[in-house]
Amino acid sequence: MKKIITLIALFVVVISSAQTQFEQGMTKAFGLWKEGKNSEASAMFERIASAEKTSYLPNYYVALVNTTAAFSEKDKTKIDLLLTKAQDALDVEFIKDQNNAELYAMQALIYTAWVVADPMTNGMKYSAKVMEAYAKGKAIDPNNPRIVFGEADYQIGGAKWSGVDTKPLCAQVDKAIELFATFKPETPFSPKWGLERALETQKNCKK
Amino acid sequence: MKTKLLFTITFLLLTSFIFAQNVISGKVVDQKGKPVPGANIYLDGTYDGATSSETGDFSFETTTTGNQTIIVSFLLFETFKTEIDVTNYKNQTVKLRENVNALDAVVITAGTLESGDKARVSVLKPLDIVTTAGSAGNIIAALQTLPGTQTVGEDGRLFVRGGEASETQTFVDGLRVAQPYGATTNNLPTRSRFSPFLFSGIAFSTGGYSAEYGEALSSVLLLSTQDEPDQNKTDIALMTVGLGVGNTQKWKKSSFSINTNYINLAPYQAAIPQNVDWNNPYQSLGGEAVYRYHFERGIFKFYAAFDSEKFDLNQKNVNFVNPIRTDLNNNNFYLNASYKGDFGTGWQLTSGISYGYSKNKTKYDINDIDSNENAAQLKLKLRKNISNYFKLSFGADYFITKYNENFDDNIAIKVANGYDSNIAAFYTEGDILFSKKLAMKVGLRLSNNNLLDETNLAPRASIAYKVSKTSQFSFAYGDFSQTPVVDYIKYSKYHQFESEKARHYILNYQFTKPGQTFRAEAYYKDYSNLVQYNTKDIAYNSVFNNNGSGYAKGLDLFWRDSNLYKNLEYWISYSYIDSERQYKNFPTMATPNFIANHSLSIVTKYFITDWKSQVGFTNSYSSGRPYNDPNQTQFMNGKTKSYNSLSFNWAYLLTTQKILYFSVSNVLGTQNVFGYDYAKVPDASGVYNRQAVVPTADRFFFVGFFWTISQNKNENQLKNL
Repeated sequence: MKKIITLIALFVVVISSAQTQFEQGMTKAFGLWKEGKNSEASAMFERIASAEKTSYLPNYYVALVNTTAAFSEKDKTKIDLLLTKAQDALDVEFIKDQNNAELYAMQALIYTAWVVADPMTNGMKYSAKVMEAYAKGKAIDPNNPRIVFGEADYQIGGAKWSGVDTKPLCAQVDKAIELFATFKPETPFSPKWGLERALETQKNCKK
Repeated sequence: MKTKLLFTITFLLLTSFIFAQNVISGKVVDQKGKPVPGANIYLDGTYDGATSSETGDFSFETTTTGNQTIIVSFLLFETFKTEIDVTNYKNQTVKLRENVNALDAVVITAGTLESGDKARVSVLKPLDIVTTAGSAGNIIAALQTLPGTQTVGEDGRLFVRGGEASETQTFVDGLRVAQPYGATTNNLPTRSRFSPFLFSGIAFSTGGYSAEYGEALSSVLLLSTQDEPDQNKTDIALMTVGLGVGNTQKWKKSSFSINTNYINLAPYQAAIPQNVDWNNPYQSLGGEAVYRYHFERGIFKFYAAFDSEKFDLNQKNVNFVNPIRTDLNNNNFYLNASYKGDFGTGWQLTSGISYGYSKNKTKYDINDIDSNENAAQLKLKLRKNISNYFKLSFGADYFITKYNENFDDNIAIKVANGYDSNIAAFYTEGDILFSKKLAMKVGLRLSNNNLLDETNLAPRASIAYKVSKTSQFSFAYGDFSQTPVVDYIKYSKYHQFESEKARHYILNYQFTKPGQTFRAEAYYKDYSNLVQYNTKDIAYNSVFNNNGSGYAKGLDLFWRDSNLYKNLEYWISYSYIDSERQYKNFPTMATPNFIANHSLSIVTKYFITDWKSQVGFTNSYSSGRPYNDPNQTQFMNGKTKSYNSLSFNWAYLLTTQKILYFSVSNVLGTQNVFGYDYAKVPDASGVYNRQAVVPTADRFFFVGFFWTISQNKNENQLKNL
């Protein structure tokens, strides 16, 4: 009997250590990212992705780390490499699940980074794709704050070229901020970013 | 109890023994042995791994045992994967192979000018076709600002490196377009039938092209249609020359686009003084439809276009007192269905069928000339990626052309001429990458033409070597053959023609940096087997032979820059050519009348953010062209004055979806002369009179309003202009 208990205990330990391994790994990767070690963080997320095939999060963060890095990169060759890496990671998750609104928000962000990198070349090509990705995400989850905000923010960004009325877009930003307040991430590691940038855009809206 | 406890402890010890940490360590280097920092090293399916340090070293512990797969990945290199024994993997050196798909790998550039997203080295951006001043949405006009082309204002078609316009073939999605240009008559320039916004990529080869393409002596123009439209939308265009409506519908796996246009040049012809006398303005009614369906591993495209054109005019002719009337009606239909997809491991299949039908009804003075052409192509191409370093492709083509022409002078002569031609061709080509710096392409094309009763074998080869991060050299060689143009082979029943031949040698240097491109290309072209005849005009009773020959040699320079000044883009093209031929009815070797020794184009585009406007200027210059003056003893002795045209355009974004567009060509009103037509017989005093060949009007102006209705408010028709 005790042997069985011991075995069960060991079994439980193994399982729980597997769970904490994910948490530990993710926590460590987030730590690296916070320290500004983008490539190490991306590598860590990539390793977690290779072990945890059932969670979309590690690949999602590979995409997010590299895309945000691309926004602050000036060297066009590097931007290309970063965004290709991001897209490859995201594509892995899109094959598994086409009904995750966060993946579409991420996709829109990658396209946005292409536009920002070279508006003259990529503007026409990717603008529609950005909007399409947001539209698909919205169809799945109309109250995802990152989608509501991202969609409005992208159009506000283009407004100085296009002369579009920003008032209704700013109203969307306000709505997104409310959604951020009530948004509950599914797990501690699920995406929850975006509020700070939304507040900044709101400030500019009021100017 | 005690034993049980002991057992548990032993068991635990054993487990912890199993969980014992193995150290994995080593160094990551590139092919030259230089350390690679930042590589991600890990055991597949575990958390165990590390990132290589500045010195390329890595070390990590793992609790796994036995055989595991170690993965070393880094973007610029091919991912390294191998099975290892974790207890025994220490201080190993991992040599990463360069990823030849990475951006900075060498690309063969000799002869090819590319545009579009897939092009690594793009000389033109997709938008350029429509935002280049003077192009007026004509793909051909935009290409004429590139080096290696000649501006032949009275013709409008593409003349490449001393070649006739017919020496350039147009392909849409790999399939030939038999009738790529609109209908026209003597000295009235034509334009491309294709609307530029359908295409996402353009590759324009000025020589030395792949064995996949045949029946072109000088050049191929490869257009690829979009795989996927952006979104559901409706486009409306109101122009001084007509109107257009388009609609696109997009579904999950497929999409459908349709466009219709009505063009009427009456308002323009009324507003701007014309050098010809129009009885009926140029009018056309056309439409095109594209359907695309995405399969899991491939895409099917169906493209169909129809247009009907007509005009009626009186042209002065030096041989007659009164102007000669030309009344023309043309109906054209083009269909293209293609499938492109992957199968198996590393196989790619491209197959398709194209069909073109053109019917011309021309009344020239009192003569009736009716012609019709049916042209089809079947194509199958397979490509196998044997490795990242070697790709092999092979395929077959079958071309069918039927042409009929009926001539009736409404007095005595009534003749029918025509031909049926079938060409079967096979080709194979290998792409070899020796390293990221050295690439080679070798191909062979075998074709059989039943009309000419001949078989041709054409070798092609090109090689590229990258000397530094920013510059590279390429060299291309190729043999090319083409059936003589319809003007000759419609008389096939009277004479057995042979293919005309050309051989190209091209040396190319290219320098690229983000925002900057410089190319220099020197070439030599050797023509042989050109058709000659012994009469003033080509006729059924001319004596033909295939003994003509010629050459073209020259230098093309291209510079494009967007770094000089914010929001400014410009490019400069310069071409020098020296070319002579003895063909047609030339008595000696001479430079044909479409060749200008020097050509220079300067294109600028400037976006003014405050005005929400893009303004552009294009200046085209070419030195004088030769012409033959029968009053002089030497053949082709005359030379026209040089040609210059400055064009301007202005696109203003009213809102993102509404654009006002204005363009005018030849702003300075330069009186250009393309050449001279001389009378066939001298007048009473023994002098051959002449008449200058001039543009139909000195200026072309255009005002248009373009409106896009869609969900996405950022989309507009700027690209359609």
